Amino acid sequence: MISQETLDKVLMNVEKPARYIGHEQNIYIKNKSNMKATFAFAFPDIYDVGMSHLGLHILYNLLNEQDDFYCERVFAPWVDMEKQMRDNNIPLYSLETKTPINEFDFVGFTLQYEMSYTNILNMLDLSNIPLESSNREEGDPFIIAGGPCAYNPEPLADIIDFFVIGEAEETILKVMNEYIKSKEEGVSRKAFLESIVNIPGIYIPSFYKITYNEDNTIREMIPLKDNYPRKIKKVIQEDLDETYFPNKMIVPYIETVHDRVILEIFRGCIRGCRFCQAGMIYRPVRERSVNHLLSLAKQLIKATGHEEISISSLSTSDYSQLETLVTSLIDEYKDQKIGLSLPSLRLDSFSLDMIKEIQKIRKTGLTFAPEAGSQRLRDVINKGINEEDLVKAVRDAFNMGWSTVKLYFMIGLPTETEKDLYGIKDLGYKVKEEFFSLPKEKMKGSLKITISASCFVPKAFTPFQWHPQNTIEEFRKKQEYLKDIIKDRKITYNTHDAKVSFLEAVFARGDRRVSKVLIEAFKNGAKFDGWRDQFKYDVWMKAFKKENVDPRFYANRERNYEEVLPWDFINIGVTKQFLIKENEKAKEGKLTPNCAVSCSGCGITRDFKGGIC
Amino acid sequence: MARLRVKFKKSSLIRYISHLDLMRLFQRALRRANVPVEYSQGYNPKPKFSFATALALGTTSDGEYMDIELIEKIKPEDFIENMNNVLPEGIKILRAYYTEEIKSLMAIIEWSSYLIELKLLNEVEKENILDFLNDFLDKDELLILKKKKKKGKFVTKEINIRKKINKIELMLLEDNKLILKTLLKTGSSGNLKPEDLIKSFKKEGLDINDEEYKIHRLELFREKDGKREVL
Repeated sequence: MISQETLDKVLMNVEKPARYIGHEQNIYIKNKSNMKATFAFAFPDIYDVGMSHLGLHILYNLLNEQDDFYCERVFAPWVDMEKQMRDNNIPLYSLETKTPINEFDFVGFTLQYEMSYTNILNMLDLSNIPLESSNREEGDPFIIAGGPCAYNPEPLADIIDFFVIGEAEETILKVMNEYIKSKEEGVSRKAFLESIVNIPGIYIPSFYKITYNEDNTIREMIPLKDNYPRKIKKVIQEDLDETYFPNKMIVPYIETVHDRVILEIFRGCIRGCRFCQAGMIYRPVRERSVNHLLSLAKQLIKATGHEEISISSLSTSDYSQLETLVTSLIDEYKDQKIGLSLPSLRLDSFSLDMIKEIQKIRKTGLTFAPEAGSQRLRDVINKGINEEDLVKAVRDAFNMGWSTVKLYFMIGLPTETEKDLYGIKDLGYKVKEEFFSLPKEKMKGSLKITISASCFVPKAFTPFQWHPQNTIEEFRKKQEYLKDIIKDRKITYNTHDAKVSFLEAVFARGDRRVSKVLIEAFKNGAKFDGWRDQFKYDVWMKAFKKENVDPRFYANRERNYEEVLPWDFINIGVTKQFLIKENEKAKEGKLTPNCAVSCSGCGITRDFKGGIC
Repeated sequence: MARLRVKFKKSSLIRYISHLDLMRLFQRALRRANVPVEYSQGYNPKPKFSFATALALGTTSDGEYMDIELIEKIKPEDFIENMNNVLPEGIKILRAYYTEEIKSLMAIIEWSSYLIELKLLNEVEKENILDFLNDFLDKDELLILKKKKKKGKFVTKEINIRKKINKIELMLLEDNKLILKTLLKTGSSGNLKPEDLIKSFKKEGLDINDEEYKIHRLELFREKDGKREVL
């Protein structure tokens, strides 16, 4: 245990020391000597970000409700705290009991974003845990990982002992129980791994060998033993009303990114946007019932005292009982001044009416995500909205008194031309015109339009997984073009750093040969790569060179359908044939109807049950 | 409508949370405890309460005060019990009573007493400390440099803090550890932070580590007819 005196010496020297003290409302303090297995939930970014993540609250409470397990939290210390810790020989510690992380049985990282991978290494290093799984010995914790990026686990293959692919609620309990058995029998690390290799959703990278073709593509993935599964099938919870959801959440002291009660209303998405990984990997759509959600909301507000409830899902408008849910929540909580936020709404007139009601309690901004500037390109990506709908929604919103609008786009989408880029500007200007064509008395506030254009990163398990990403140079030209043509005092144009997106593309579709680049870059100072002021592009380029790995091979190369992709061994339910079919339809600009309209045969029903399928 | 005056303490790890964090903490605790608090109007309604004075991050206290506006009166003892049930360890409601006073707490308070624990860089005899303190308080002028923001620019200004110091007592001297008790001007009528007093000690020649110290607020006082009174 790290003593309070030790921490007192450093905490006054860092920004927001409350990030490092734990001690919040609703944490678990358990007697460690009574525990049969301990788990450190590790979030590879700062506290402010990690505490906003729903998965943390779910797993934390799920594990801690078990008498034999203790789950504590740990986040990446910000650079000021890291320096204090290194200068004063303080190892990375858990927030609840200030126990050094290397004393835990499991350290579980959640992979939300590729650019957090170096933070994993930094956290292992601060914990004095060997970076590579092959160097870990008996007594070292098992380093495990899950979350959306685990659907292509290979870039972390040398680092992580095993992955949980899919929704971890049940799997993690199975693993922990198996571990208790192993511990009682006193078996080795290797033997424990052998004992869990057939638990659905578990992937142990060291149990496989990869061979390569002469052109550097993958030839084959070979299990080292016959009983190791050739395919890893993701795990899902079939019925969300039967799935664990916490009735309390830890209440942070400092302001976090999303500081509120989170209600997860469904998993999956019926839409099938072709760039979107979440829309594919989380299928099938499964809803939680309104009654269940209302009861959860009540318990969560009672336990936290939060002033806001956020409804969490992909494409929230597709929830079948949205109006009932929202009306009930407003009725229940307006007197207590508890606001409601629906971050992922399709903005049609129905939604606007609903938002209007919500705004009576607390005011929020409006965000639209057309994703692409032209109708042609929106059809290519299967984003089923057209310009008239969008302009009408904006007009309605202005009529109702809004004056701040954000528009989200991506540049570098497959088949994009200058015309499509011009469409981004065009749409922004049309939105502006809508505001100024209002009658004077309706114009409220001062108009502010923000256009954000991020750089498209092709992801595994999407119809665009075979596409080359634009080069940094191509992105730069496009960004400059947009900057040149968007010239209006009412419109702010934001870009993303193309270099960061380039690296993201490498790790989103990398194979296990990029593990060593990660380690090399980390050793030379790369960390917090998702933070603009910390990102060190040169360090990365040197690391690729030193390890003789060409990043363009992963980011900018077009794959053919026959190529063995690094993530092909994972079965997400949606078939490769479906993804190919979607990619071909994209090239022709043909739309695919959403799952509520008709089934497009994505393949999910073959292996998985649940929801509308 | 009723104004509840509340005294609370802030100890242990809670000293690492900022004033803004403390406000949020109370907002949520009031809701958890079902206190019928008044809300402000507007787009971002906030429960109506105000603190006597902000406590710097890192400082503990036995004498913090806040006024809370309630829609209806509840029994103060119920308030204390319900709040203490939902507050994290380290924050505790000590007293609560209704007040008719209209003036804000910040305008009412005048003085604040503190315990300050300092580290001497070299061992010093007790007499020398007492001599230092006597000389210190005998001066008419104790100047320190204060950074102030004026029209968006930082301006450094020299200010005299002597009048803002009422007294300083030596409580303990043990090896290199020095504990002083002091009474400093606090509130909207004038304010001296104990951190600035420490700066002044250093400047006037007390051989201390001016980066590592502990500050604990004991109590806040008002002044009536030249006499100090607790709230």
